[in-house]
Amino acid sequence: MSKDRVSRRQFLSYTLTGVGGFMAAGMLMPMVRFAVDPVLKAEAAGDFVATKQKVADLTNEPVRVDFSYKQKDAWYESDVTESAWVYKDDAGKIMALSPVCKHLGCTVNWNSDKEHPEQFFCPCHYGRYTKDGTNIPGTPPLAPLDVYPYKEKDGYLYLGKAKPRKEA
Amino acid sequence: MKWLPQDVETYSAAKEYVDTAVVPLYSITIGKGVKQSAAASEFITLLTNYLERQFTGRILLFPPFTYLGNEQDEKVLTDLKKWEESILDAGFKHVFYVTSDFEWRSREGELNGTLIWLPAIPLEQMNDTQKLTMIDSQVQQLLTIFTQKWQKSD
Repeated sequence: MSKDRVSRRQFLSYTLTGVGGFMAAGMLMPMVRFAVDPVLKAEAAGDFVATKQKVADLTNEPVRVDFSYKQKDAWYESDVTESAWVYKDDAGKIMALSPVCKHLGCTVNWNSDKEHPEQFFCPCHYGRYTKDGTNIPGTPPLAPLDVYPYKEKDGYLYLGKAKPRKEA
Repeated sequence: MKWLPQDVETYSAAKEYVDTAVVPLYSITIGKGVKQSAAASEFITLLTNYLERQFTGRILLFPPFTYLGNEQDEKVLTDLKKWEESILDAGFKHVFYVTSDFEWRSREGELNGTLIWLPAIPLEQMNDTQKLTMIDSQVQQLLTIFTQKWQKSD
């Protein structure tokens, strides 16, 4: 028997601390994991959808890029097709604009109004946007066109969820 | 805008901008010709939905006006005229009917709205990309009918 005998009191307090700590950890660990989860998830790939558009083929003239993805609406799964107007700006950076008019949601077209060339034009209420998607004051839309985040993978363009921009 | 609660809500809030009603006309045949009837409905459904996507902010797409195909008589016309009356009373300036039923062509003059008649293209053999391309090209031609009509009245 060693000299430092563990007293009954000491033994009990060690055991209780040990077991209590173990139980506390068992409760706290999942909580911490839940709290941290959104942070960890944001670093994952995100919802980018492949398009048929080759990045190398893009010019400074906007082209319409269609892409589709599956959407679940209650129990009904359907293919949703969306479009984007994609071009390279003067600095060579890719711009992918949503074609949905910020006024009431019509589809805008590039360069389709003869009186106002080189602009995005909404045929419903004659809303107009400049090439970078900024709404032209005096026309119905009150916000610039949404922008798609994009990615390049194997030479093809991938688009994410369109994000609204601040008012011009 | 579609015939859905949230869309109709937007419509109610922006009535002065939404001045065009689109009503698909479905001819239903039971028995012989049931397949053609279904194919025509599929075509008109896809077409009007795509059209609605292009012009969301200015048109309200109504639920289809459905009638029995072998009953193309005065009653159907009277019923549609009632629809038209209520639509115009509600403040719509333009009404468009989209159908692939040939019978309506002889009745066009009796309606105030514009009749768009398109021969149904069977879509069952096509894959989704082909369908989309086909509907897209059809709708591109329809767009001018709408914009011209609007330009005349604006």
